[in-house]
Amino acid sequence: MEIKTNDYRVWDEGSTIHYEGTMRLSSAEEYAPIQALMAQVLEGKPARVDLDLTGLEFLNSSGINLFAKFTIEIRNRGDVGLGVKGSTRVPWQAKSLPNLKKLFPALDLQIV
Amino acid sequence: MNASYGTPPPSSANEERWSTRVRLDGALPPVWAHCGATADMLGELYARQAARQGGNANEARHGINYLVNELMENAIKFRDAQFDAVEVMALLEDGVFEIRVVNHAAPEVAERFQGILAELTGRDPGELLLERIEANAMGDDAGASGLGILTLMNDYGAQFGWHLVREDAARPVLVSTHASLRL
Repeated sequence: MEIKTNDYRVWDEGSTIHYEGTMRLSSAEEYAPIQALMAQVLEGKPARVDLDLTGLEFLNSSGINLFAKFTIEIRNRGDVGLGVKGSTRVPWQAKSLPNLKKLFPALDLQIV
Repeated sequence: MNASYGTPPPSSANEERWSTRVRLDGALPPVWAHCGATADMLGELYARQAARQGGNANEARHGINYLVNELMENAIKFRDAQFDAVEVMALLEDGVFEIRVVNHAAPEVAERFQGILAELTGRDPGELLLERIEANAMGDDAGASGLGILTLMNDYGAQFGWHLVREDAARPVLVSTHASLRL
């Protein structure tokens, strides 16, 4: 599955979902297709889902909220693991991704 | 209405301080796409200035970009339908980026905003951020309000001040948001 626009691209490879570009959508509704892709990966009942955010240069607060909600959903399910990979090259990630781990301590967060 | 919240702007604040001004109105309208475009431009301009002053250009670019974009998104989301211009002013001095965003808001919108501001400025931002995220995940849409500001306060150490004033009944409320970010 893939979502591609002039500004960003989201695609899955097995149970890993990759994000790249700039995501500054105006509302939860606009993020719905991305949320649907993430839900579809979950429906495949993987043991663990990995989010690769290393190529995601800019993200607005609605976008951060999308990842937070997904983290909470996985936490509440209890039957699937979650990994998040960020990059020290992208400053927002070292600043804001640790909040996901506060929401879900079992999250495997790697900022490389 | 005449109310202030948060950290007041510096006492030296005057109109001459600002080194850039952007006004979105008329032919350059206050539309969503212009938030990111303005954020990209100001991020790039001031990252270069920060680098010339010995700072980290990448950190500066990203921090300024996120701050400008969030404040402009809020201004555009909540602006008055008739008096819909959005103004942005910015400067970088002694390693601190400052921005002021000015927009009008309908009185009922401004009143709701006052409630949000009272909470934003009265609680620990880190605690409130996680609380709001959890509430939003439970379907409480009001939980999403202020997430951008809380992220900037908690994750970036940004400081904010707001001033809301309605000078006469013929015009909506004038909302000024002032923020400073140490790069």
